[in-house]
Formats: sequence, C-alpha cells, structure tokens
Amino acid sequence: MSDARIERTELPDARYEHGGDDHVFVELDESMSFDANFRAMAITQQIRERDIEGINEIAPANASYMVQFDPDVIRPESVLGELREIAAETDIEEYSWETRIIDVPVLFRDPWTHETLMEFRDRHQTPDSTDLEYSAELNGFDSVEAFIDAFVSAPHMVTMVGFVPGLPWCFQMVPQEDQMEVPKYKQPRTDTPSRTIGFGGAFSVIYPVQGAGGYQMYGRTPIEVLDVDQELPGFEESMVFPNPGDILNYRPVDREEYDAVRERVEAGTYEYDTATAEFEPDEFFESPYEYNERLSEVLYE
Amino acid sequence: MATESVTAPMPGVFYRRPDPEEPPFVEVGDEVTEGEKVGLVGVMKNFHDINAPTDGTIAAINFENEEAVEAGDEVIEIETA
Amino acid sequence: MMRILEGGTSTTVQDLGRFGQYHIGMPPSGAMDQFSHRVANALVGNDEDAAALEMTYQGSTIEFTEDAVIALTGAEMPVELDGEPVPMYSAVRVEAGQTLDAEFATEGARTYLAVAGGIDVPEVMGSRSTYTLVGIGGLEGRTLQEGDELPVGDGGADAEAVLGNSVAEERVAGVAPEEGVRVIVGLFDYRLTDESRAELTDAEWTVTPEADRVGYRLEGPELDFVEREQPFGAGTDPSNVVDVGYPIGSIQLPQQPIVVMRDAVTGGGYATVGTVISTDRDVLAQRRTHETVSFEAVTLEEAVEARTARNERLEAIVESLDP
Repeated sequence: MSDARIERTELPDARYEHGGDDHVFVELDESMSFDANFRAMAITQQIRERDIEGINEIAPANASYMVQFDPDVIRPESVLGELREIAAETDIEEYSWETRIIDVPVLFRDPWTHETLMEFRDRHQTPDSTDLEYSAELNGFDSVEAFIDAFVSAPHMVTMVGFVPGLPWCFQMVPQEDQMEVPKYKQPRTDTPSRTIGFGGAFSVIYPVQGAGGYQMYGRTPIEVLDVDQELPGFEESMVFPNPGDILNYRPVDREEYDAVRERVEAGTYEYDTATAEFEPDEFFESPYEYNERLSEVLYE
Repeated sequence: MATESVTAPMPGVFYRRPDPEEPPFVEVGDEVTEGEKVGLVGVMKNFHDINAPTDGTIAAINFENEEAVEAGDEVIEIETA
Repeated sequence: MMRILEGGTSTTVQDLGRFGQYHIGMPPSGAMDQFSHRVANALVGNDEDAAALEMTYQGSTIEFTEDAVIALTGAEMPVELDGEPVPMYSAVRVEAGQTLDAEFATEGARTYLAVAGGIDVPEVMGSRSTYTLVGIGGLEGRTLQEGDELPVGDGGADAEAVLGNSVAEERVAGVAPEEGVRVIVGLFDYRLTDESRAELTDAEWTVTPEADRVGYRLEGPELDFVEREQPFGAGTDPSNVVDVGYPIGSIQLPQQPIVVMRDAVTGGGYATVGTVISTDRDVLAQRRTHETVSFEAVTLEEAVEARTARNERLEAIVESLDP
C-alpha cells in the first residue's frame, strides 16, 4: 500500500464570465483537482441556501460552476456581485459531507461496447487496437489486465453530473501522479451503448442512454443511473441516481453476475449496494489509499 | 410531351438512395408512376420522401446524391406522355 | 381534442421550459423562439407559459374534435382550415370536425400553434415541454405522429373575447432578419488565436442540416486555438477544457461551431467562446438549414438593453390584445 499523500492545490483567482445576459460562469481553476471541485460544490451549496430570487439553475462542474437566472428579475451584475460575496465567505477548510459509497458492477470487455468500438475504429487514434489496449499502453501498463486493475483499485468520486441527464463524471481518488489520462476519440461516435463505462481526460463516466459519445469505452454496467419513470428502487427522490460527492466503486464482474444483476434490474427488484459515511477531505488527502480502504470496508462489510 | 418538376419541399440534403448500400430510387430513363418515391430530403435526421407528382419518364436528375438543396429546388424532371 | 393526421417533420409540445434541473444534466427544453411562442399564447388569451405546438419545417395536419380558438406565429407557413387559408398572427375559430393542414414553412423554421386553454398534457418536473432524448414531457416525450390525440385545457370553449385579436404586421419581428445574431464574446475565447477570434465575428456561418433543438451546428472557416500544454484533466486536444457547464446559447468549438440550444447537452469538455444573447436565440432558432448567420459582438449593457426593448415590444403586443 502506497503511503502517498494528495498535495493541496492552491487555487488561482476565480475567473468570472458572463454567458450572454442570463448566465454567469465561474472558473475556479483551469486544471482539475479535488480542491477545485470541492470548492465548486461548497460554493454552489451556499448559493442554493441563499435562495436568491431570479436564479433558476445552479450547476456545479468539475473545476467551475455556472448559474442561470432571469435577467428580468435580477441584473447580471448583481448576480456576479452575489457570487463574489458568497465565494469570499466560503471556506472549504472545514467542508465535509455525508457521502454515499456505491457498488458499481462492471463487465469489462463486454460484447456490446466491443461491437460498437470496432464499428467506429476509423474515428479512433489506433484503428488496430481496442480502446482498452490503447489506454493501457498510453498509461504505461504492460497489459489490459493491469490497466483494469489500476482503474478499479481505487474508487472514483462523482465531480459533476450532466451532458445528458444522469451522466456522472468521476475523478479517481488517488494522487495525481497515479491518475490515468486518455484523449477522447478523434471524432465523436454517433453511437454508444447505454450503461457504457467510458474514460476521457481524467474522468470516468457512465452513459445513461444510448447515443453519441467520445470517451474511450471499457465495459458496461448492468445497473441504471437514470430512470425517467422513477419506478426502480433508489429513484424515489430523483430520476437520476448519482449526485456530486458520491463515491463509485467499480467492481469487475463476470458475464454470469452481469446477467443476474441485469435480470433483477429489469424486474425492478435490484437494490443498490450502498453505504454512507462522513467524507473528511483532510483525512482523505493525508493518506488516500488508506482512506479508500476504509470506505471500501464500510461498503462491503 | 410536357415536363413536370419535382421540387424539394424543404432545405436539406438530397438523397438518391434509401441508404448508401442500396441502388438509387430512379435513374434517367426510368418509367415512374404517380406517387412513386424518387428521392429523399434529410434535415435534422428526419427524412422526407419525394414522390413523383405524375406518371412519366425521368428526364433529368439535377442534383447529386447528398447534395445540398433549398426549398423549391427542382431536383428531378419528369417527362409526361 | 386535437387528433394528429400527419405529424410533420418535427412537431413537439413546448411551453417556456423546465427549470431547476440543469445540475442533473436536464436542459430547459421549451420553445426555441420564445417571443413567437408568447405572442401565440397572448393571441388566444392563454397564460404565457401555456403549452403550444412547435412545428418545424413541415407542419402537422390536425383534426379538431371540439370547437377551439387557435393562433399561428413564427415562421411563415401556409396553413389551411378545411381548404381555406388561415391568417397568421390572428385568433381564429375552429369548429369541431374541421381539419387544419400545414404546409412547408416558406420563411423561417419554426411555427407556433397555440390553442385557447393550452395543450393539456401532464407536467413533468413543472413543465409540459417535450425533451425527446430521454423521452419526457409533451406527448410521451416524443415528436407527434399520425394517430396521436392531444387534450385541450379548459377555457378553450369560451374564448369569444379573443376572436378579434390580431397583431399588426409592424409589431411582428421578421423571422429572418438580415442583421447579425448578437453574442457576448467570452468564456474561453482567450483560447483562440487573435485571427480566429476576429474570424468568429467576421465570418459568415452556414446552418448545417443537423442543426436542431439540441444545437445549431454551423459550418465556416476553421478556427485555431493557441497551442499550450493542456491543463491536467482536460484531454489532449487544444479545443479541450476540463469539463464545464454550457450556457444555453453558448458557442462551443469541437472543430466547427455548435450553438447550444434548448435541448442542450448541459456540459462537456469543448471550449466555449461566447454566448448568443437571450433575445437573439429566438432569431437563430428561425434560421433554416443552408441559411447563413453572422455573429455581432455586443457588450453586456447592449444585451440588457436588447432584452428590455424586447420586453417592451412584447408588452405592447399583449396590451393591444383582449385577454
């Protein structure tokens, strides 16, 4: 077990930009870091609590956030002023939250994403190898197995939800030197199977529905992240399952387990395997591998 | 003899074939009957049938497969007996 | 009840939109041309957020099974009621059993059909707007097709007062004005080279056939980004940024520009270089495939003024009509 720490990131001055006359976009850092993301979450939580009249949308992103408002109710400059004020008052030193740790079974090298990735080989960097082979080599692994081991060896935190409803962007909970990075497809695909586990930049994603996509494809999960009819267990409160701040634990499964879980999902009887814990950023940064081990114990014991 | 034109009903992309692997709907010289599908115009991933307005013989096809067309463009000419 | 005999190219039920869910990836949807949508509702005496039909390019053929009062606004579209032409921008009586037949739009892309009482489909998360990608809102979350039946809300039968309503032509914004679409340049515009930054507002952009409710994909000169060492997590292409939320109206640059519209993908990793101001998204939504668009850079102050002017124009129209 590595005793590496995660160094805190000193964030630059935030960059405030007007998106037309009805959006303000705030970039906390150009680069991704847990500090930038936690600050985006803390600030947007504060904005939500202020309940400012005229603000319709409050959307945290990986290292930035955005609000949308009705300019007939509140002027753009006033929104910007409020956001600066909230930012000045928000300190993430003492920021912690109750997190959900979620078991996500994954059939890596599944037949469905394999068929799709072969179909779009002409849009990929390496027409002669698979997305996993390409990613493994690019990140210095000897084999696809070793790459998958690294991909699942530490959990991934949901740092943003969007693109389409329910799609979580997740950042692996390891020091930056241990994080993997891959480019997106050269040209986006017009097709991606639903429930594909993808990876692009330094982010893993789960595609909620079939559709366009540009991330490298590694496997498929039998569980849903979006249920528009809100009929499945776990979707009582929202049609979207993952929330920013949740922690996903990808767990490789074989075809037999994949099919068994899928059958239960389709029958409406699958219950998510989750646990809750108070997430303490300081403790996580101090010894991430040990901290992840503890999270895993909470989930699987 | 008279010629009737088949016009594109909306702006989009003109398709001479149902899909890239299939043969064209019609070639110059083909006999067509009223209502027969002679092409497609695609816009926003919707495909609109273009049908022959009359019985006759295809006299000219003025656009290539996948060429851009405007609403009202005369894409195909049909010679009537 | 409105019975759909032919769906048309892409006809959906839309109101002003669904708000408060962007953070879970849910775009607002709602009318692409909000001005025309509001005028249509005002003409028939509806609340401004009543649901109406948005008919794109080729309109629908609709049989009314009950008396109704309707109004058409937006793109010019020849429409007949049992063979008689129906004027646009007027409240028109429809009798039970009559059939409304809409042709291809001759100018502009989207025509709005409001009916007194509104289209009474169930609300999903506070809105009746259709969002086809995940299939919610409107009628079963999809575009209309033959055989569909749309319920009309109460109040439709007793709309005598609105029957004289019409909007004078000079009050109606042209659906395809020649002037540019105004943008506030910003967000990640600094990522462009100086030449490309100038090109964004100098060039004429052509609307591609893929331009739809999700995004207006445009075609024009190639824009270049300043080379740099990419920030951690962004991805290797110079057009990539660490994934951000996209404002509605923002211009993202995968290679060629895409203006994010109301069924937006809510976020992603392509640099955005400016945002079409709220009033001019209506104008852009009426641009047809193969038509051109140019962007005019404006200040925030000018954008706010444009909004105020639009509100005053809309208010004048609403005040001139019987409620």
